[in-house]
Amino acid sequence: MGWLPWSSGDSKNAASDGGRIAPDRTSRARCWEGRDLFFACLDKNDILDGIKEDKKARQKCAKEVEEFEAACSQSWVKYFKEKRVMEHNRDKTIERIQKEDAAKVKELKSQGWGSK
Amino acid sequence: MPSPMRMAGLLSRATRNMTIEAAPASSTRIVPFLRNNASQCRAYTQQRPRCQQSMRSMIPAQNDFSTSAFRAKGPTMGQMRQRHTTGPFSWKAALLFVLTGAGMMVYFRVEKARLERKRMAEMSKGVGRPKVGGPFVLKDLDGKEFTEEDLKGKYSFVYFGFTHCPDICPDELDKMAEIIEKVKASTKDEKLFMPVFITCDPVRDTPEVLREYLKEFHPGIVGLTGTYEQVKNVCKQYRVYFSTPKDVKPGEDYLVDHSIYFYLMDPDNDFVECIGRQDTPESASKVILEHINDWKREGKPLKTV
Repeated sequence: MGWLPWSSGDSKNAASDGGRIAPDRTSRARCWEGRDLFFACLDKNDILDGIKEDKKARQKCAKEVEEFEAACSQSWVKYFKEKRVMEHNRDKTIERIQKEDAAKVKELKSQGWGSK
Repeated sequence: MPSPMRMAGLLSRATRNMTIEAAPASSTRIVPFLRNNASQCRAYTQQRPRCQQSMRSMIPAQNDFSTSAFRAKGPTMGQMRQRHTTGPFSWKAALLFVLTGAGMMVYFRVEKARLERKRMAEMSKGVGRPKVGGPFVLKDLDGKEFTEEDLKGKYSFVYFGFTHCPDICPDELDKMAEIIEKVKASTKDEKLFMPVFITCDPVRDTPEVLREYLKEFHPGIVGLTGTYEQVKNVCKQYRVYFSTPKDVKPGEDYLVDHSIYFYLMDPDNDFVECIGRQDTPESASKVILEHINDWKREGKPLKTV
């Protein structure tokens, strides 16, 4: 497993003082671009969770998933897939609460509350 | 000083009289009619006994010593009446009143905001306060020892992160760079603001790695790293959630959870304010500059080298 796509081994990523060189701005941008393309494909195919529905995702978005995983390290791939689900749930929850609130306000108004 | 309500009442009365008096001057034909009307009007509406008194005593005096008709002396009378009925309240007085009022309001607002900030800043001083920040030993990118003493004398802006951070840290560091530039521009580059990046992932983030990483964001950011124990300690001092795995194999790929706040610390190295994800570079630099200016205004010491 390569740390980054253009480096096959660990030697290139190890700093001379024993640290590990992090992705720079360019490789981050490349990774994010790969992620966005992959997620767009998931959206198109109505797939939410890239981990649970890994098989389906790989089938429908074979090219995108390959590029995404090549551009980002494994931990990032996992992180972004999880984040997508988490954000989706978060947005759903916010939406639900807003709807409930709106319904409650409507109900109270119909009962004559806050008519003034 | 009379109450504002009363002042406002008098002013409105003054302006009403002014409009009435303004008309006769422009047209001589309707002067008598208007003047009569105006004086009647005033006689009925006039509420202040002092002015009524003076008007009464003035009118007979005019008639006694004047050979011409009462109305012929109109303009002078009108002016005198106006002076008497409006008293010292002219448009100049009104303008002065409004300007003073507006000035006071602005001043009180500013002062109130300043005191509020001061109260917040001093909340973390003294005994028995929740403490953010404290003694630590780390090393900077040249391998030199760096402790909390090195932060004193300047406003420091501390961020915890790690170089292999997927998306939040890079965003926040770009924001940090913008904030640095804004503060630098407003303080005329006095070097009293020190942005600091402390890694939560010392195994991978050695000085060399950090230097390369931070260079991409802003050359002014001071990068700090240390041993696992040292970093754990500094995270504890700053109440930062620390979850770095202890024994990671070389080459292992992992992420680190960490808090994503900037900590603004004053020159005594006491915590002042948190800057979070919701802040824009504009709002953050505004907050920082307000604190820096408060500190300067109070004449407290600052290191500018």
